[in-house]
Amino acid sequence: MARIGVFLCHCGSNIAGAVNIPEVAEAARRLPQVIYVEDNKFTCSDPGQAAIQRAITEHQLNRVVIGACSPRMHETTFRRTVAGAGLNPYLLEIANLREHCSWVHPDQVEKATAKAIDLVRRAVARVAWQEPLTPKQVGITRRALVIGGGIAGIQASLDIADAGYEVILVEREPSIGGHMAQLDKTFPTLDCSACILTPKMTMVGQHANIKLMSYSEVEDVSGYIGNFRVKIKNKSRYIDVSKCTSCSECAKVCPVELNSEFDENLGKRKATYIPFPQAIPNKYTIDKRGIPPCTNGCPADIRVQGYIALISQGKFKEALDVVRDTLPFPAICGRVCHHPCEDQCDRKDIDEPISIRMLKRFIADWARENGEEPPEDMQPTRGERVAIIGAGPSGLTCASRLLKKGYPVTIFEASDKSGGMLINCIPDYRSPKEITNYEIDRLLAHGMELRTSVKLGRDITLEELRKEYKATYIAIGAQDPARLTIDGAEAKGVIYGLPFLRDVKSGKKVENFGRKIIVIGGGNVAIDCAKSALRVGAERVHLVCLETRDLSSRDRMPAYEWEIEEAEEEGVIINGSLGPMRILNKDRRVTGLETRICISVYDEGGGFAPKFSEEAGPIIKGDTVIIAIGQRSDLAGFEDVEQTPRGTIKVDEITLETNIPGVFSGGDIVTGPASIIEAVEHGNKAAESIDRFLNGRDLKLGREMEVQVAPLREMEMEKKERAKISKRDPKERMKSFNEIELGFDEKTAVEEAKRCLNCAVCSDCRECEKVCEAEAINYEMQDELVEEDVGAIVVATGAEVLDHTQFSIYGGGVHPDVVSTLQIERMMNAAGPTGGEVVRPSNGAHPKEVVFISCVGSRDERTGSGYCNKVCCMVMAKQAIMLKEHAPDTHSYIIYVDARGPGGKIFEDFLTRAEKEGTTYMRGQIDSVAKQDGRLLISGQDFLSNETFNIPADLVVLATGLMPNEDSARLFQTLHISYDAKNYLLQAHPKLRPVETAMDGIFIAGCAVAPTDVPESVAQGGAAAEYVLKLFSQESIEAEPMTSIVDIAQCTGCLLCQQVCPFQAIEAETLRDGRTVASINESLCKGCGICVAACRPGAIKLRGFSDQQILAEVMAL
Amino acid sequence: MKSEYQPKVIGFLCNWCSYAGADMAGTSRMRYPQNIRIIRVPCSGRVDPLFVVKCFQRGADGVLVSGCHPGDCHYTEGNYYTRRRFALLREFLDYLGIAKERMRVEWVSASEGQKFADLLSDFTMELVRLGARSKI
Repeated sequence: MARIGVFLCHCGSNIAGAVNIPEVAEAARRLPQVIYVEDNKFTCSDPGQAAIQRAITEHQLNRVVIGACSPRMHETTFRRTVAGAGLNPYLLEIANLREHCSWVHPDQVEKATAKAIDLVRRAVARVAWQEPLTPKQVGITRRALVIGGGIAGIQASLDIADAGYEVILVEREPSIGGHMAQLDKTFPTLDCSACILTPKMTMVGQHANIKLMSYSEVEDVSGYIGNFRVKIKNKSRYIDVSKCTSCSECAKVCPVELNSEFDENLGKRKATYIPFPQAIPNKYTIDKRGIPPCTNGCPADIRVQGYIALISQGKFKEALDVVRDTLPFPAICGRVCHHPCEDQCDRKDIDEPISIRMLKRFIADWARENGEEPPEDMQPTRGERVAIIGAGPSGLTCASRLLKKGYPVTIFEASDKSGGMLINCIPDYRSPKEITNYEIDRLLAHGMELRTSVKLGRDITLEELRKEYKATYIAIGAQDPARLTIDGAEAKGVIYGLPFLRDVKSGKKVENFGRKIIVIGGGNVAIDCAKSALRVGAERVHLVCLETRDLSSRDRMPAYEWEIEEAEEEGVIINGSLGPMRILNKDRRVTGLETRICISVYDEGGGFAPKFSEEAGPIIKGDTVIIAIGQRSDLAGFEDVEQTPRGTIKVDEITLETNIPGVFSGGDIVTGPASIIEAVEHGNKAAESIDRFLNGRDLKLGREMEVQVAPLREMEMEKKERAKISKRDPKERMKSFNEIELGFDEKTAVEEAKRCLNCAVCSDCRECEKVCEAEAINYEMQDELVEEDVGAIVVATGAEVLDHTQFSIYGGGVHPDVVSTLQIERMMNAAGPTGGEVVRPSNGAHPKEVVFISCVGSRDERTGSGYCNKVCCMVMAKQAIMLKEHAPDTHSYIIYVDARGPGGKIFEDFLTRAEKEGTTYMRGQIDSVAKQDGRLLISGQDFLSNETFNIPADLVVLATGLMPNEDSARLFQTLHISYDAKNYLLQAHPKLRPVETAMDGIFIAGCAVAPTDVPESVAQGGAAAEYVLKLFSQESIEAEPMTSIVDIAQCTGCLLCQQVCPFQAIEAETLRDGRTVASINESLCKGCGICVAACRPGAIKLRGFSDQQILAEVMAL
Repeated sequence: MKSEYQPKVIGFLCNWCSYAGADMAGTSRMRYPQNIRIIRVPCSGRVDPLFVVKCFQRGADGVLVSGCHPGDCHYTEGNYYTRRRFALLREFLDYLGIAKERMRVEWVSASEGQKFADLLSDFTMELVRLGARSKI
C-alpha cells in the first residue's frame, strides 16, 4: 500500500497569490493513500527540502507528490531530495501548479484552486502506480564535436583540446574564421581583427588534438549524451588538400570569375579559390555546383560551359580540345546540330540563350584556318581488337574513343567512303564538303584501320568477325528510304530523297529531274531535298506533307523551325495537312499529285495513325516527285541480333549491349532516324561499355547516376544581346551550294562567350589540371561521408548578416553607393577589394559625407527581426572613427533610434569618443534615400528637435542585423535541439543555463543563440567547453531508466513495434518454445513510447509512463 | 446557465516541445481558459488512441494531443505516428457519436507559449459552441 506525502509550495506569492493553498491541502488530505500533507513557502529552499526528508522518515512515506513549479525546473532537485531520505528518486511526481496554473490564471482564485486540486489529484493517482527505477551507468566517449569554425567554435575547440581531449571541428566553408575574419578592426580597442584571430586559427590548424574538417557539414546525429554518432559530409573540393601547396597557379588560369562572398561581393574570385590569404586550412577549393544545364541538355554530355569559358578568355585551341574530348566533329556539329544545349541555357529566361552552336563552329573554323598541328598518331597499347561496323558519326566516334584508350580498331564500311550521312547526304549549303572531309580525315589519321566496300552479310559474317575481334559495335545507320505505295509511284520522275541528296552532293546528274518539283515529306530530309532541288535548277518547289505547318500544333511538321523558315525564305511552297493519293502521270511521266486532306496525324497515344476527310485535296502539278518520308535500316546480315518490331536493333539502354555478349549497337540503327549528336552519344557510350567489357568490369556500375543540375545562382544579371548569326541573302544563296550561315569573327565570339552565366561555377574546362605541379586536382572526387563517435557536441553555427540590398526603403539594392557595414569593413581592410580605401562603389571616388543608418532590419518585425542586434551601435561608432582616421576630411552622421554601448564603461566611452572626434549623432527616422546631383539625399525626421533634415551624402552605410539562416534550422532539427521562429537556438534556461540545451550533452555558443560581439562569443565558447570538460571528467553517466520492456507472456510476435521504433532498439527473439517475441535493447531505447502505443496486445510497458499510470491520471481528472 | 458552461479539456503534451511550450506560456504570464488539465507524456507518439477514447468516456468535452512540429520530434519520427493515428481516430469519433472537432492534434514548440495560449482559447470557444456532450 502506498503511503503518499503531498508537499505544496507557495513559491512566495507566485503560487499562493493565485491559488488558495490551504484549500488545496485540505482536498489533498482527503485523497486515498495520502498520509501526510504539508505546505511550504519555498519547497526548493534548504528548509523546504529538509521538511520533505523529515516527513518521509517520520511518516514512513513511500511516494512523494510535490505541487510546485514545472518539473522541467526542479524535478532533478527534488529527486535528489527524495533520494537523500532513502527513497527511490523516481517515486516522485510533480504537480505543475505554477507555470500551468497560478501564472496563467491570476485573479481567478476559485477556478485556479479547483484546477490545482485536480492537478494534485492527478499526481497522486499517478505516483501510486510508480515503481522504483534504477538508472544504468553508461560510459562516455571522451571526444567532442564542435560545429562552426567562427570565433566561438574556435575558442571552444581550443579549450577542449588544450585540456587533452580530441576535438572534431566541422566548418561549412572552405576556411575557419567566420565573420570575425572579415572584420578590419574590432571595437572598442581597435585591435586589428586578423592580428588577434589568425594566431588562434593557426593554433586550431596545428593542434594535435583537433581534427579540422572544413568544407564539411553535419548530416546526421544519433545517440545520446556521452555516446553520439555523427555523420559528417566532407564536401568534395576537387583538390587533394594533402597535395595542394596553395601556389595559386590554378586560380590564375581559371576562366570563371564571380563575386567574392568573403569580400561581400565587392571583389572577385575565381571558381578555384582560397577565401582569404590567411585561410585555415590554407588550401584551394574548386567551387563546382553540379552539371551545367547546357551539358545536361547535350545528349553527348559535352563540357559546354568549359569551352565557352575558354572562348571568353581567347583560348580557342584549348576550347576546341574540350569539345573534341567528347565530340570528334566540332565543325560539322557547329553547323548542323539542332543544339538542345541552347534550349536548356539558363540565359533564356533573362534574354536569349548563348549561341553555343555557333561558338563551337567558330573554334573549329578558327583552328582549321590558322593551321592545326597534325593529328596525333595513336599507337595501340592493347591486344584486343575491336570491330566497328559502319563509318558514320556513331561508328567513327566509338572508334576514336577506343583508339584513345589504346585498342586497335577496324572500321568496316559498306559504301566506298567513310562518313555515313555526314559526308553523303548533308547538303553543302549546310556543311561544305571541304569541312566535312577535313574533320573526318583528321579523325581517321589518328590511326584507325578503315575497310570500305565491305558489307556485312555479303562480304563477311558477324560470326566471322566475332572470331577475330573481341568486341563489335554495330552502327550502320538508317539509309534505306521508306517506300511509298500509291498509284503512279512507279512513274518516271519519281525519285527518293536520300539517293537524290547523295547524287546532288557527289555532283552526279540526277536522272528524270524536271523543273516543277513536288517533295513529299515533312522532315528535315524533305526540307533538304526541297532546298537542294532549287539549287539544281528547279523553277518551283512544292512540299506536301501530312503534318501541319502550324508548329504549335501536336501534328506539327517534324522538321526544325529554322529549316522550315529558311526553305520558305527561298521560295519553297509548303502544303501542310495533305496526304498523297495518287501520282498523276501521262505516258508514265509524272504530271502532278492528287492529294486528300489530312485531319490528324497521331492518335491519342502519340502513334502514327493519320486520319483523312472525305474531301479531296488540291491537285498539285509538277513533273518530278521526290519522296522523303523516312529512312530505315537494312538489317540483312544481322539475323542473330535481337530486333524490335520497329525494325531496329534491341539494346540495353545504358550499356548498348545487344543480346549477344560483346556485341554492342547504337546510332540510327537503334534509335531510328535521329540526330548526329545522339549518334555521337551512342558512340561514346559504346566505347565505355566495350572498354569495361574487355577489362571484365561491370558494364552498368555507376552509370545510372542521377545528375544534379546546377541551380541558377542568385546574382545581378544584366541583359546583353545575343550575337546575330548572319546569313546569305535568300535570292543570292539559292543560286549556289555556298554555305548559308556565316560564322562569327573573333571579337563576336569572345563577346558572345562572355554572356555565359557560368551556372555550375567551375566550368570543367580542366585548365587548372594542366598547371598544377603538385597534381592535386581531381575532377572525379566525390563527397565523402565520415562517421565519428563523440561524447559531447558544441553548436556554434553563428548567424548571417542580413543582405542590405533587400532594404530598398533605404536605397539598398537601388543605389550602388548604399552599402553595408560589413562592406565598409572589407573596404577598410588593407587586403580587401579596394586595398584599404573606402570608396563609392559607383565611381571609386573618396566619400566625404557618410551617413550611417542604424537598426536596419532589427527592432522591426516587418523588415527583419524584432530584436536589437547589440553590436551595431558599436560597429557604427568604430567605422565613423576609422573613416576619420583613414581620411580626416570625412564627416560621418549616425542616424540612430537608440545609441548605447552595452558592455561596460569602455564601450560607452567609445561612443563618446566617436562623437568627440566629430561624428554627428542624430536621433531620428529616415523617410527616403534619393539620388540627387550624383550624390544621395537622405531625408527624415530628427526626433530631438522635431525638425526634418535633408543630408546630402556620398555614401550611405546600413547597419543590418543578424539572423541565423535556414540551413542552421535544418541542422538544429538533426540535432533535435529547439530553436525559435527566427532560427535562434533556445537555451535550457535563458538565465541559469545559457550554454546548455534541452538535449543533454549538446551545448551552444555565439551568434547562433543571440547576437553577440567577439568577447561574448569567446566567453560562451569557453563556457560551452567547460561543460564538455565537466562531462568528460565524470567516470560514467546515468542513463534515463525510463525505457520500454516487453512482457513475453503477452507478446504475439507481430513485431509492429520493431517497425515503428526510430532507434532500432527492438529485435526479434526466439524463445525456447519456438515462439518469436520482441526484445528491447535497453541501451538503445530512448523511452519515447511509440512502440507502447503501437502494441496491439498491450505487451510493452514504458517504465515511468505505463498505461496504468496514464489511465490513472485520466480517471483522476 | 449556458454562459457558465465550462468544457473540460484534457491535454496530452509531449515533454520536449508542447509541455515546454505550456511552461513558456506560464513563464510569460499569458492567460488562457483554466479548463485544461495537462498530462505529460514523453512523446506524442506515446499517446494510445484508447487514452483519448477513455477521456471522452470519463466525461471530457475535448481532448488535445500536442507534440513537436513535424520534423522537429525529439525522437525523430514519433509525431508522424501521432499524426497518422489520430487522423484515423478522428473519423472513428464521429462513428462513436462524438463530434470530431472535440479532438485536436496540434504542434506547439518549446518557444510557442503564445500559440499554446491562443490555441486553448480557440479550442475552448469551439467547445462552448458545441455545448455539453451527450454521454457515450
